[in-house]
Amino acid sequence: MIGQLPYFTVRALRNMRNSPVLSAAAIFTVGVALALLAFFVIAVLNVQRLTASWAAELAIVAYLEQPPDAAGLNRLLSEIRAYPEVAEVRHISRQEAFQRFQKRLGSDAGLLEGLGADFLPASLEIRLKPEQHAQTAAVAERLSRNRALGELHYGREWLERFEAFLSLLRTLAAGLGGFLILAALVIVANTIKLTLYARQDELEAMTMVGATALFIKLPYLIEGALQGLLGGLLALLVSFAAYFLVLRESLGSILLLTGIDTIHFLPGLWQAAIVLAGALIGVLGSLLALRKFVRFCQG
Amino acid sequence: MIQLFNVTKDYEREQSALNDITLQIDKGEFVYLTGPSGAGKSTLLKLICCAERPTRGQILMDGRNITSLGDRAIPYLRRNLGIVFQDFKLLTRRTVFENVAFPLEVQGRRRMEISKKVYQALKQVGLEHRLSHYPLQLSGGEQQRVAVARALVVDPLVLLADEPTGNLDPDVTLDIMELFKGANARGTTIVMATHDRGLIWQYPRRVLTLEAGRLSGDQKP
Repeated sequence: MIGQLPYFTVRALRNMRNSPVLSAAAIFTVGVALALLAFFVIAVLNVQRLTASWAAELAIVAYLEQPPDAAGLNRLLSEIRAYPEVAEVRHISRQEAFQRFQKRLGSDAGLLEGLGADFLPASLEIRLKPEQHAQTAAVAERLSRNRALGELHYGREWLERFEAFLSLLRTLAAGLGGFLILAALVIVANTIKLTLYARQDELEAMTMVGATALFIKLPYLIEGALQGLLGGLLALLVSFAAYFLVLRESLGSILLLTGIDTIHFLPGLWQAAIVLAGALIGVLGSLLALRKFVRFCQG
Repeated sequence: MIQLFNVTKDYEREQSALNDITLQIDKGEFVYLTGPSGAGKSTLLKLICCAERPTRGQILMDGRNITSLGDRAIPYLRRNLGIVFQDFKLLTRRTVFENVAFPLEVQGRRRMEISKKVYQALKQVGLEHRLSHYPLQLSGGEQQRVAVARALVVDPLVLLADEPTGNLDPDVTLDIMELFKGANARGTTIVMATHDRGLIWQYPRRVLTLEAGRLSGDQKP
């Protein structure tokens, strides 16, 4: 049977040529459904990338109300560096904090005149490893038990809110994607069913000359796969065009994101997944349609 | 070759299409199935090619019980059969050559062998010059000759024909009968349903008569 694959493929292509409108409808439906899904995936992946980069920049700031002596500071630093989640710990002295503040105020730095360089507290800036940013709250909780450290600051609320937004976006993408894929599946199944109705005589003749179920079904499965594959490619093309013309510039403002410089298109693996999903939708749609059509024996 | 033992076929809410039929058709025989419309001729042919299953009774083909053959086994049984229908059942989107080649493609035969056999079969029915035509470009008689070529190209053990001349004029009917006669002479068992008494008179062979689903006569010439 595998040796006959070129024969089945030629028959599938001939079937498509014989019903160009139906084939185009199936390809278009799969294309639209997967293109919409691709838009969502582009949005989710970019937001995810952004949160990851923000999280990497995010630090826990622990203020040192009573600055320890050099030995005490070194002990404290090595203790915190030993945390498995921690990537880096930096000591910011009072002077350094003052200089940073001055720099940040820029032309308004004059406001600080008359204040001593030690009016800001020293602190430790603790950065977590990128894959550990979800542990921020847990690490902060552990640090808060250390008596040498004073008040702790980190963007917890902000980060949590953003992650909730990301998870909402993911759920939306999954829900809408599932719905669109289901709709595409039903439409492909119905398209193939229409071609099968038109070829009922042919199917009957096939069963009467000794064709096996697989022999009859395979060209239709290949036809479904080809239509799905073309639909997947169309989806990539449409989503790339949309990315190039619209999303690249405006996705950031659509999602109310700031600080996002470049919107990335789907990575290669996702592109392959979209095309394969198209082929899979096509094959499943054909299988659904063929279920009731190929019958060798009544009652 | 074909044996039926007490075969009954019931359809829902109808009287039996076939009722307690027992008969035997030997290898190489040419048998007419005759009787009025609705007597059960087509049903009997459908049971022999497993297009339908009997409600009761057993059917044996070449010594093998085919009564409860599964869907997977039916195609392989049909590869030993040639079937000719009144309405030809040709694939209209395929050429004459492709129609006749189709049963051989289904069996996975090699391309060279297919070409050779199809050409021979079309020559046998006198249509070798029409092989690139489509069925709808042919007359009814020519279409039926293509259907006969398709049935005979696989060298079937049994040829089942359901009113094969029902739609044809008398001259063409004789052509088709000559083709069946030739196939029978080469060893193919033929079971042909017809209600054309003139044809039976012209080509006298064994006649099985069905009436209201019962076997009412079995005459040998």
